[in-house]
Amino acid sequence: MEQQHYLRQRIYLFVLVVLFLILVGNLFYMMVLKHGFYEEQALENRQVRFRVTAPRGRITDRHGSIVADNLYIADITLPGSALRDSVPGEALERLLGWFQLPRQQTIERLQVQKQRGRRRLVLVPNASMARISAVQERSRQLPGVRVESRPRRRYLYGALLAHIVGYVGEVGQADLDTTEGHTDYRLGDQIGKQGAEAALERHLRGTDGVKLEEVDASNRVVGQRPLWLTEIVPGQDAALTISLPLQKMMDEAIGQEIGCGVAMDVRTGDVLAACSKPTFDSNLMTVSISPQQWNLLINDPAKPFFNRIVQATYPPGSIYKSVTSLAVLNLGLVGMDSVLEPCLGGLEFGDRTFHCWKRTGHGTLNHTDAMVNSCDTYYYQLGLSMDIDQLAEAARAFGLGRPCSDIFPSEAAGNIPDSPWYDRRFGPRGWTRGVLLNNAIGQGEILVTPLQMALLTARIATSGETPNPRFVKDPAFDLVQPEPLPFAERHLQWCRDALLQTVERGTGRAAKQDSFTVAGKTGTAQNPHGEDHAWFVCFAPAENPEVAVAVILENAGSGSTQAAPIAGRWLEGWFGSEERRLIIPDPEKSRALPGREAS
Amino acid sequence: MKNFSLLPQGDKIIFLAWVLLCLTSLAMLWSVTEPIQGPYEKLDPGVSKGVFWRQVVWMGVSYLGLLVAASVRMRYLENIVWPAFLFSLGLLLLTLLFGPKIAGSQRWLALGPFRMQPSELAKVTYILMMGHLLGGTVDGGRKLMVTIGSLALTLLPMMLVLREPDLGTSLVFLAVWVGLVFWYGVPGLLLLGAGSAAISAVFSFYSETVASSPWPWAIYLLLLLGVLYLSRLSILVSVVLLAANILTGIGIPFFWDRLKGYQQERILTFFDPTRDAFGAGYQAIQSKVAIGTGGLFGTHYLQGTQKGLAFLPERHTDFIFSVVGEELGFFGSLFLLALFFIMLWQGVHHAAAVRRPFARFVAIGVVTYFLFHVVTNVSITTGLLPVTGLPLPLVSYGGSNLLTSSILVGLLLNVSSRTFHD
Repeated sequence: MEQQHYLRQRIYLFVLVVLFLILVGNLFYMMVLKHGFYEEQALENRQVRFRVTAPRGRITDRHGSIVADNLYIADITLPGSALRDSVPGEALERLLGWFQLPRQQTIERLQVQKQRGRRRLVLVPNASMARISAVQERSRQLPGVRVESRPRRRYLYGALLAHIVGYVGEVGQADLDTTEGHTDYRLGDQIGKQGAEAALERHLRGTDGVKLEEVDASNRVVGQRPLWLTEIVPGQDAALTISLPLQKMMDEAIGQEIGCGVAMDVRTGDVLAACSKPTFDSNLMTVSISPQQWNLLINDPAKPFFNRIVQATYPPGSIYKSVTSLAVLNLGLVGMDSVLEPCLGGLEFGDRTFHCWKRTGHGTLNHTDAMVNSCDTYYYQLGLSMDIDQLAEAARAFGLGRPCSDIFPSEAAGNIPDSPWYDRRFGPRGWTRGVLLNNAIGQGEILVTPLQMALLTARIATSGETPNPRFVKDPAFDLVQPEPLPFAERHLQWCRDALLQTVERGTGRAAKQDSFTVAGKTGTAQNPHGEDHAWFVCFAPAENPEVAVAVILENAGSGSTQAAPIAGRWLEGWFGSEERRLIIPDPEKSRALPGREAS
Repeated sequence: MKNFSLLPQGDKIIFLAWVLLCLTSLAMLWSVTEPIQGPYEKLDPGVSKGVFWRQVVWMGVSYLGLLVAASVRMRYLENIVWPAFLFSLGLLLLTLLFGPKIAGSQRWLALGPFRMQPSELAKVTYILMMGHLLGGTVDGGRKLMVTIGSLALTLLPMMLVLREPDLGTSLVFLAVWVGLVFWYGVPGLLLLGAGSAAISAVFSFYSETVASSPWPWAIYLLLLLGVLYLSRLSILVSVVLLAANILTGIGIPFFWDRLKGYQQERILTFFDPTRDAFGAGYQAIQSKVAIGTGGLFGTHYLQGTQKGLAFLPERHTDFIFSVVGEELGFFGSLFLLALFFIMLWQGVHHAAAVRRPFARFVAIGVVTYFLFHVVTNVSITTGLLPVTGLPLPLVSYGGSNLLTSSILVGLLLNVSSRTFHD
């Protein structure tokens, strides 16, 4: 019996030792040998990666007045798992009750976000303080729910600068699929969609920061010190060439008309003011715009989204007469004082009569008077004296027929037709020299943008010294220095005199001012779809040009009565403004433009 | 009762182990109810300080229980085993009939503000009952009858507890029975039968759940048949062995179907914790991470992140060992296990040394009870066994289990004090 007990005791103790050795051995394996693995698991448990959006650079006008900055707003967000097959989880269920959100509608809205691949669902965008504190106080009952602050773009002059500053929007799947080099973008990020916001995207956008935060089991941030893996690099600020006061003046000068006005510094190419009307509030685009509002904007027949400054193309009308004159003068076909056949209200060509705008006729005119009075009959004759390609070449010398701005990728090129173009359009024998009659007076197939017309005018004023127009001052894009004009300086001087006289005594009288001289030209862009569009371009002062202005009013009829006074009003403001002193510190000195001494 | 004093008589080493285990329990429960220390905002620990203070009070009560159990006369205890056993069976029955349903199970009896788990009391009376039954002097021929009778008396409380349902506790009865019967002396053939039946159960389970085909089990049976043929056992024994294997094999799918969904899930998840990383597998994964994080010296007291940031579930009850592992490290865990080990080591020696068979089997029962609880609980927290609700005796929070375990330690002390007398 004792023997038996002894054996059992031995076996029992053996089992005891073996079992405890297994436990200890396993503990040693886990806690010592695999310690690193489990420590990493514990870190993975409590460390959550957060991406912190870098603030986007601000946009200012040329003098540093802010026109676009960032507001911080807070969203109440849920993890994607808060909704499983349209069935709300516990936390979401609670919030629906507390905030008394419309149940079905909210669930559908979140479902849409989930389908778009968003990792966190925004339950309440731009939440009120009351709701934010409600969530923060009861975070224990709301696992996974977070209050996330997010910068929102704010446009301080949303309507005034909508077409130039543009706007930002959310990165969509389409952006990720189509745009290269957007590897660091994620769905829902802000990205410039239009205007300077789009053109300066790289500059304005900083580098998002990545930090590790410690969270507890209910996914609440509890760590005091985040660990930054990537520091935030804020985006850089950018400055436009636009001057806010001058922009406002242009806006007021155009008023409620549909059209566009551009004013540029002829020496630097800086666009000082550029308005496209009607406009829209770009702030609407950064928040989720309601479908009603969107439809209203998109279906507006006046097309508020249409950037008329660079996207709209019109026939230049009589403004083009400067180009025609310079072309024939350059070819030596007609002199500066040449008198051609008198104007009897039109010209017979082939079996068709081409009318002068003045049906009663201008009578006998010299070249200068033909320009001052904008006599079509005279210009028909000038046109017939050349080849279509010679006229097109003159136009291209000014930069017409191709995009000229710095920041608008969707800018229209316009159209300067030449013989290959007509061959393509109508076939090699499908057109006649008759097109020259229309081309000579800027009608027909010629198309230009308002910005191109401002540039044309500026280059006439500076004998071609004006660089391509710039909307952005900082960061400076490479200046596109113009090719020298192929025209003789005396011909250009003649052209400037003729334009001065046009305002002094001719069709541009409505822009005439008492305190300074204006050289300009009216135009009427024929519109087969309705009332003609009214053009007016000018530069001032005539003897020492500082600024060039182009104005077009859609369906306003004749340029002399409608568009010219708008340019006049803006110029009046310009010469009376403080801005002029800032932009052109010593107006007298600026006279000494290279190439101007000869005149 | 003789020489009642404030210090129990008996083995001082066992008593010291009890004291140190209780102090460890209090230290860990304090940690669990404190906000985490470190670079964190002041956090709600998620387990109220009341847990700590209630355990302090229970510890006082349990000490009284230990004193009484250590000093009461063994003879007196043996006289009341039947009424005590029947009384606790009655309480188990009452629990099933009138116990409040808490989280889907009926485990408690409420008496005013006082709540107790009758299954804990049943462990004490069951061990005493077994001591009486197996301690009775019988000749060799009737040993098998006693063994079978003891199994029947084991199944009674086991089934009642399983109905609550409380799988972990019901298995305690079976485990204690195995330990006792082993000491009692089991015939070798019975051991062979039980062993092969257990293997048959494992194969059957594998066929049922993982393979979804009867072939693995069938192949095992064919192999067994071959072994039985070659081993030249008598026809009768071979048939009985084969029958035992077939019965358990068929019984497993039946038993499996009877398991609750969450129990099935736990067992399946045990074999593959990632199967449900946020559900049943979550506890197992988080517990392993907590223990593994501890390293040699632990993350230091009050600084465990798995505990403090609430990743570890049930950290004051069934998974308190994970907190020990995380905060006190390998050496801390080793110290805790050593306390249990020394207590059981001493217990086995006293059981072997005591003359009175009743006392011997009570001591073996107590040792097996602790051995099963500690090994199972630590195995669950380290992922060696599937998750089943089973506290770490003397350390986990919970008054009923603390009192029961202390009374059992008291009985062990009682036995040790009688080792060379009586």
